Amino acid sequence: MMSSIHYLHKEFRRMSSASQWDIGLESVGIRQDKTAFAELFKHFAPLLKAFLMKGGNLGPETAEELVQETMIKVWRRAPSFSRDQASATTWIYTIARNTRIDWYRKQSRQDASNLRAEDIYDEVEGASPYASLLQVRSISTITDQLLELPKEQAGVLRLMYLEGMSGQQVADALALPLGTVKSRIRLALAKLKINLGKGQLAGDAQSD
Amino acid sequence: MISRHPSPEWLVEYSSGSLSTAQSIATTTHIKFCSTCETMVDALAHLGGTLLQESESVPVSMRLLEHVMTSIETDFAPAEPKSELPAKVVDGIAAALPQYVRNFLPAGDLRWSFLSPSLRLATIGVGEAEFELALHRIKAGGQAPEHDHCGQEITVVLTGCFSDEEGIYQPGDFMVRDAGDIHKPIAAQNEECICLSVLAAPIKLTGFKRLLNPWLKFSPG
Ligand SMILES: [Zn+2]
Repeated sequence: MMSSIHYLHKEFRRMSSASQWDIGLESVGIRQDKTAFAELFKHFAPLLKAFLMKGGNLGPETAEELVQETMIKVWRRAPSFSRDQASATTWIYTIARNTRIDWYRKQSRQDASNLRAEDIYDEVEGASPYASLLQVRSISTITDQLLELPKEQAGVLRLMYLEGMSGQQVADALALPLGTVKSRIRLALAKLKINLGKGQLAGDAQSD
Repeated sequence: MISRHPSPEWLVEYSSGSLSTAQSIATTTHIKFCSTCETMVDALAHLGGTLLQESESVPVSMRLLEHVMTSIETDFAPAEPKSELPAKVVDGIAAALPQYVRNFLPAGDLRWSFLSPSLRLATIGVGEAEFELALHRIKAGGQAPEHDHCGQEITVVLTGCFSDEEGIYQPGDFMVRDAGDIHKPIAAQNEECICLSVLAAPIKLTGFKRLLNPWLKFSPG
């Protein structure tokens, strides 16, 4: 059962989801392909710079230092990337997010530990075959539907993911009740088919 | 059977990186038990990647690529193992806990403090002032004193189970209780219950020695 799911999943990815970035990143991992790495850099570095400037509230120079740090991690970790399991964009996003979290923690006076974000997330975002089959199915939905989302729903997701805001911070920034922000998130996830629905969450008992 | 999960918006905060360290550790702990949330978090990471891909960009300076290419030239091979926390020697109780949670335990024995005859607590330092990560142990059949939270409390059941007015909680179950929720957990008769918890301080407490677990108020009796 598991192996047939795994097989289907692999086929699905090969047919529909492998982008040039997936192939390039895999080539960096397998062959230490510097040309492919330079192409990845040219595509992702400007996106990462904007991501770090906004979300970290950083000046351009600090943001570039963190872009450098992120891209060097991409180079070093590339051998663990497999395009059967993740897309390059998602994989690079999690590395950039972790770099941003670690930078914040380093700045805060309370940083008394040497924990790193990657220890805390502990690769839970790496996909099990079954989980990633579902994920792959939803990849095209997410990509297509994102553009169709009502502006106010997409806006909340952007503030959270790109600017690093919590739900409460979004509520404060938009002068909305927290409940409105939460319901926009839920509506957006439903349209993106990311919420698994009551049917799949057995005894769906949300914490609030 | 896990029946209590983090809310969707909680998982978005987890995926987008705005939860505190202690909250993130509690969330990953739940996900280690829960393939439903694992799948959702996979999809949410993809949402993050897609939003990044579609976002505006800011040109980088020309020499940045040179700098990066120069630093990777000096890397003989692109092989950096994922950060690994040192293996910990763990005492009897810790050995029963999920491997992921053991990674964060202090070296040496856990220091358990008695909060009541049937409730013990050991704090786990993760370098945050606003949130405290801790393990709670409720003796088999034991009852934790009725308490009120001054701040939000998150509980993830690790071993055993407990119940309160609202139901039974089993390993992996993830609960959030907000300030003012009063409850009275009771462990199952046959087995000790161990939970991971995160307590949020309503105010920052720094600069003086804190009383034991100051964010729980116990009502008399
Ligand atoms: Zn769950």
